[in-house]
Amino acid sequence: MFRKILIANRGEIALRILRACRTLGVEAVVAYSEADRESLPVQLADEAICIGPADARRSYLSAPAVISAAIVTGCEAIHPGYGFLSEDDAFAEVVRAHDLTFIGPPAPVLERFASKEATRRLLGSLGLPTIPGSNGILRDDAHALEEGDRVGYPLLIKPAAGGGGKGMRMVRTPRELEASLNVCRSEARSAFGDDSLYLERWLDETRHVEVQVVVDRYGRGVHLGERDCSVQRRHQKILEEGPTPALSEAARAELCSRAVRAVVSAGYENVGTLEFLVDRDGNFFFIEINCRIQVEHPVTEMLTGVDLVATQISIAAGEPLGFSQADVTIRGHAIEFRINAEDPEHDFRPAAGVIERYLPPGGPGVRMDSHLYAGYEVPPFYDSLLGKLIVWGPTREAAIARSGAALAELLIEGIVTNTPIHQALLSSEAFLEGRMTTNLLDRVGSSAFLAAAARA
Amino acid sequence: MTEPNQPSPRGGAGTSTPKRRRSGTGSDHDPRSTAERVADHAAIDRLADELLPALVAKLSATGLAEIEVGEGSWTVRVRRPADGVSGHNRRATDRPSRSQPGHAGHGHAPGGFEGHRSARDPKAASQHSTNGSGPAGGDGTGTGSAATDPGAGDTTGATGSTSTAANASAGPSAVRPSDDGADRYRAIATSPAVGIYQPRPEAKSGTRVRSGDRLGAVDMLGIPQEVVAPADGIVGASLVEAGETVEYGQELVIIELAGRAAERTEA
Repeated sequence: MFRKILIANRGEIALRILRACRTLGVEAVVAYSEADRESLPVQLADEAICIGPADARRSYLSAPAVISAAIVTGCEAIHPGYGFLSEDDAFAEVVRAHDLTFIGPPAPVLERFASKEATRRLLGSLGLPTIPGSNGILRDDAHALEEGDRVGYPLLIKPAAGGGGKGMRMVRTPRELEASLNVCRSEARSAFGDDSLYLERWLDETRHVEVQVVVDRYGRGVHLGERDCSVQRRHQKILEEGPTPALSEAARAELCSRAVRAVVSAGYENVGTLEFLVDRDGNFFFIEINCRIQVEHPVTEMLTGVDLVATQISIAAGEPLGFSQADVTIRGHAIEFRINAEDPEHDFRPAAGVIERYLPPGGPGVRMDSHLYAGYEVPPFYDSLLGKLIVWGPTREAAIARSGAALAELLIEGIVTNTPIHQALLSSEAFLEGRMTTNLLDRVGSSAFLAAAARA
Repeated sequence: MTEPNQPSPRGGAGTSTPKRRRSGTGSDHDPRSTAERVADHAAIDRLADELLPALVAKLSATGLAEIEVGEGSWTVRVRRPADGVSGHNRRATDRPSRSQPGHAGHGHAPGGFEGHRSARDPKAASQHSTNGSGPAGGDGTGTGSAATDPGAGDTTGATGSTSTAANASAGPSAVRPSDDGADRYRAIATSPAVGIYQPRPEAKSGTRVRSGDRLGAVDMLGIPQEVVAPADGIVGASLVEAGETVEYGQELVIIELAGRAAERTEA
């Protein structure tokens, strides 16, 4: 195990990693930008070091600053968290070249899975069903139109690199396809520095289901069940739960075991998530793999009792996985609510400001992962995630009942949050019956959704 | 500076802790006594007449983002408009007025002027920041150019004030007084990077330097990042030993400001 590691991230995930380090007996240094000097992870860290200004390009995204900080503080490894440098294979390679360990998949593994299109082909060849799509990257507009005709409309234009809905468009006709290609290219180029696009058949009314896998350096891999992330707003997940209400127990077992077999064969290492779309008939299609710890990992931790971040650090340190598939049991139901600094009254625009009061909820099965405290100033420079409320119950109904109580108890004053949308979800039939699909919130409209909840 | 000079209804509370003031703020709930108000006005006049032109000239000449000096319980800070994403956190090594021919800086008004008493009230600072910063746009904040009018400059600059005003430590390139009050006319060169500090032998204590002169370097993964003098003056004490680990923004070398150092010697 490492003696000391550098946490190159901020907010709730920096705190989460710090907590994992404490349980492992590993010293942790928090690398922070000037805008995060007063943040909770910086205050709680064993040691903290300022690596640059508020602008993430010169702090959290600066490989030289992060690596220099790790070296001068005597760290042996770097935990990148999620976002920022977490899936950057070039960064992982430079970290290794400085005799440090990147906590995540090794650079060659990250590189193998860097392109979504290539990953789709690789895992498709290893037994995972994929959505019918274009044959490789689109060379030009003519090639795109040709491939569009072959796959059939409606289609989804997708960037080969990155995620989060940037550079993505649904098109219904060749004319729409032609009109959207340039926009998607420029969005993809500015978001990921790569404008390669591919096409996928558009599946209507789908659910987003993802499988959590853990693979050690010695090729031993297990799955830790799946999470359903169908509650999305403009391709951004806002609520995740597990197990998925969309599939039978047998179908879930089939999905998870096929996923873990495929990634182990593909030579994956460390924690990872395979994302699938599930159609109305329960068919599942592999879409992409996330080579990092995810925001919604606590859902799986609540269901299995496995500390995913500690496991991630152990695997990076070269330790063998200490449990087998037979040791993994999925117990009960868990729901995670992302609490964002967003104003539901004004199209979810991001907010910043000082937290005047903060009271996290409690009770059986309730967990709050957040870096908030009263007096903390939420800086305007980074993403809007304030924390995650995770609620466990022996059944989905019990988890929902506990969630209602916990959300009512959660108090954040001084800054506007998206909590009303979660309360609206808990009183919506579609959610209560487990019928949420990825496009439902956008189709109904978030404001209509909120209004309907207010009437109910 | 044109506040009506009338006795405060709560004049007895005049001994309360110094409050942060904004220029132009109304005086409806002013707890100061008449004598204190008169003294404050005199101080404002003197600071404005004597100090402001000098600071404006220095700001223009150095290319610094912000200069702050203190005297007694007063602090004066002049700030130029932010000129981009990183404008309000400009490094000591970034010197736009030197790298842009034809923009020597003279004649450009600084972006914002704040005169306030040196109350370290984080809440006041936060409120200011909240007012000034737009919604979380990341790249969207602080896009005022050199031509930005002073009002806009004040707004964009407010985001940057979070790091300097809310925290006791100086941001990079801030010229600020030390807190002890004994030696207030100092500037401090700060670290442009996280790494290992190496002073330049030629820039030892007592050496006269110009703003922008190299004082040393911070080695970040083998690449030296220059530490430069934030103002004209004389190299004073070094706050860090050679070969020590430093973080971004850390205070490294004291510079005794030229004009004031001379005055003090004469006095």
